[in-house]
Formats: sequence, structure tokens, C-alpha cells
Amino acid sequence: MFGYIRPLKGELKVREFERFKACYCGLCHALGKNYGLSARFILNFELVFLAMLIWDENDTPVIKRGRCIASPCRKKRFCTGNSALDTAAGYSVILSWWKIKDAIADEKFIKTIPHRAAAVLLCRAYKKAASDFPEFNSKVSAQLKSLAEYESSGGESFDSAADKFARILSSVLPEDMPESHRRPLAELLYHTGRWIYLVDAYDDYSDDVESGRYNALLRRFPPEDGKFPKSGVKSLESTLIHSNNLISAAFELMPQNPWTQTVENTIYLGMPDALERVLNGTWLHTKRSQIATDKE
Amino acid sequence: MNDPYSVLGVSSNATEDEVKKAYRELARKYHPDNYQDNPLSDLAQEKMKEINEAYNLILKTRENPGGGSYRGRAGPGSNAAGATPESARVRTAINSGDLRLAEELLAAFPSRNAEWNFLMGSVAYRKGWLDDAARYFQTAVNMDPHNAEYVQAMNLMQQGGQGYGPFGGSGPFGGSGRTMHGEGCDACDICSALLCMNFCCCR
Repeated sequence: MFGYIRPLKGELKVREFERFKACYCGLCHALGKNYGLSARFILNFELVFLAMLIWDENDTPVIKRGRCIASPCRKKRFCTGNSALDTAAGYSVILSWWKIKDAIADEKFIKTIPHRAAAVLLCRAYKKAASDFPEFNSKVSAQLKSLAEYESSGGESFDSAADKFARILSSVLPEDMPESHRRPLAELLYHTGRWIYLVDAYDDYSDDVESGRYNALLRRFPPEDGKFPKSGVKSLESTLIHSNNLISAAFELMPQNPWTQTVENTIYLGMPDALERVLNGTWLHTKRSQIATDKE
Repeated sequence: MNDPYSVLGVSSNATEDEVKKAYRELARKYHPDNYQDNPLSDLAQEKMKEINEAYNLILKTRENPGGGSYRGRAGPGSNAAGATPESARVRTAINSGDLRLAEELLAAFPSRNAEWNFLMGSVAYRKGWLDDAARYFQTAVNMDPHNAEYVQAMNLMQQGGQGYGPFGGSGPFGGSGRTMHGEGCDACDICSALLCMNFCCCR
């Protein structure tokens, strides 16, 4: 969906990287198995991250080898048969569905044709996912609705806007998860949501100014020559680093699981790297949109 | 209690230096400074307590009674000298995690003074609304530039919070891009210095 939350590859051990790829492929397989071929195109890094976070500490990843549509000739290793992957797959479908719906509501008809096509393709998958995870589905639609209301009310606080987005994931953790796991995870997911929302808002800032779309940062940091004001970068950066620090503080209180090292890398290295590159403009916009369309 | 060695993540035949090193690393990780005003600070305290107990137990069983336990200072938000009863009630509400009550009390606060702004900032911080918090703290400092508590809160926001970093500074990953800790690692240096002092002079 966004692609900002990923480990810094160069700092992973080779076996950790191999396993991370297997988890990524595993989520794709889970999407295909549970929700059909069209659902495989919504695969994204954020939900792989979620799968690693909700993974049960006692479940060793089971890795198989097989062909798939993305790699029909060479067999690839993928994780399989884990409830974390199934949950992440269901959540992916639901999130993508509402994201598409949101885009259709926001844009002029002519620009929404690709989204409408995607909605048609994803419709069956969505219906199944919504019946698998009804609570998550109603939460997402309610939070996005309250976000849209806040956006149209024109409030100044971007925290208030980010809050609606950040709550989507943090408030739907399973009831049976022990308190000592659920609380840090909820905090971690809240600030991850806040971070993603604001990084994405910064990344889209110039485009949004040009097209007159809503952007959460616009009121707090009014544009200079259609661009994000240089004077605002420092404030935005420190508030995002702060969220990142709160994410790591929460992460350190979570029980260890098979993905702890990869998650640690993502939080301590991957996210600061992504932030730095987004802020200095070297986050490849073209590459990013390519990744995004590959996955959606 | 769990096996003290597994709490510190060392084997039972680790040398004293290894035990100390593991203890110090964990104490740095769960240090109260990293969880100031954090909604999870109680969990971090428990963890810190567990680590201290494990460390002391190991030292005791090794018949080395020079153990040090780190006692963190109370986080901010406890009563400051000269606080009004209204402000004391808000502080109690924030500390007990009842943010809704704190917000109600703040709405009925007698004046929109520096203290009000500071407390509004504290509530926003607890909610994770960091930019709002930074702006309230800034206003509080503008209104009362000599209040150390307000200045400390604002500084924390400006440097993007406190962070522990396994990949930071001198570690094997040192120099790989930027660490998340704003300006170098001064706070950590102070902590480790404090810890060392604890080792030397406790009991």
C-alpha cells in the first residue's frame, strides 16, 4: 500500500533476509489461497510487518518451496500455514478495499476508472474477508469515515487526522492476546500508523497542493511556491523520529518471536532510512509508484 | 521468578563481566528515561525490576555483595512545587492514565496560563499526539521561560524523544546511516556513567 515499512536489506543477515522473503511470499500465497488470484496484487510490506508482529512466539515458521504466478519457472521458498499470515491477508484485502473506495469518492469520475476496475476485481475477495473479520471491517470503515469527516471540517491539527488512521490497526487486536503483549503492540501499531500517515502526507504534499486535494500537513505547514516549506521540515522530522522512538520503546516490551531480529531492523534502521530518504527527496517516487501498482 | 540467567540472556557459566555487560545493556534499554510519560512505563518498570532482581540474585549467589540496582527517578507529571489544587488534580488524572478526566478538568481550568498549556501538552503527549504536545509545551515555555519542567518537556520534543538503539554509535553497525537519537548519545552516556557509579558505590 505504501511500502515505507521494510527492513534495511543491507543490515539483515543473509538467513534473515531469506526468511523475510519467504514471509513476503507466504503472505502472497495466503492471499491467493484465501481470497483468489486478484487479491495477490494487493500484497504490501506494511502487512508483512503486521504478520511478523502478531506471529505467535511459539510458532516456528514452516517454509515450503513452490512455483507461483510471479515466479512460474523457479521454485521459491514461502512460509505457510500460520494464522498470522491468514489474518494479515484478510486485513490486507479489507484495507485495500476501503482505500479504493476512498479514492473513488475523492476523485473526479474519469480518474477513478482504474480504481473502479480494481473494485470490481476485488469485490468477491472483499466480501469473503469482511465475513472472516467483521470486527476489523467495521472498524476500518468507521475510522475512515471519521477521517473523511475531519478532513472536510478543515481542522488544523494533523495529529487529530493521523489519530483516525492510527487507530485502525491499534484497536483491533485479538481479545485473547495477553495484556503484556497487547498493550505494547497497540502502542507500536498506533505510532506506526501515525508515522505512515504523516510520511505519506509529506510525500504527496506537492501533488496535493497542485491538484487541490486534502493534505493533513497543509494547514499546519502552508506551502511556499507549491512546495513543503523548508522551515517546517525540522518540526516534522522530530515529531516522526519521536514516533519512531516510541515504536522502539514499545517493541522492546514485546515478547520475542521468530521475527524479532527482522522487526528490530525494520524499526531501528528501515524506518529511519525511509524517513531520511523521503525528507531529502531521494525516495524514488517513480520506483515507489511502480512498487505500489505492482502490488495493488 | 524466572531463572535469573535467562532474564539477563546469559548462560549460567557466564563470567562476571559478561553478566555485568548484559545487565548494563538491558538497564539501558528499559531505563525510565526511555519511557518518560510513556503509557507503557509501568511495563518497563516491571521489566527493570525483574532485571535488577535477577542481577542482584546472581551477584548474591556468587557471593559478591556489591550489587547495584538502578533506581529511576519518578517521571515528570508528579507534583511540582507550588502547583495549584486544580493543576494537582489534573496531574493525578494524567498519572493514573485517565485522560478523559484530565481533559474535562482542563476545560474547566481557571486560566489559560503556562501551566494549562503544559498540562494540555502532557495530555496530548500521552495520546501520542506529538506535534500538538510540542506546540503546547512551546507556548508554556514562551509564557514562563524559567520553569525547568516546561523547558525539559520542550527539549524532549525538539530532539524527537529519547531512544535506545541496538545499532547505534559504537556497535557493529556504527556509521550505517543516521541513528534515531537526534544529537549523538549524551543521555545514554550519562545513564551508563550513572550505572557505573551504582556498581561502584552501592551498599
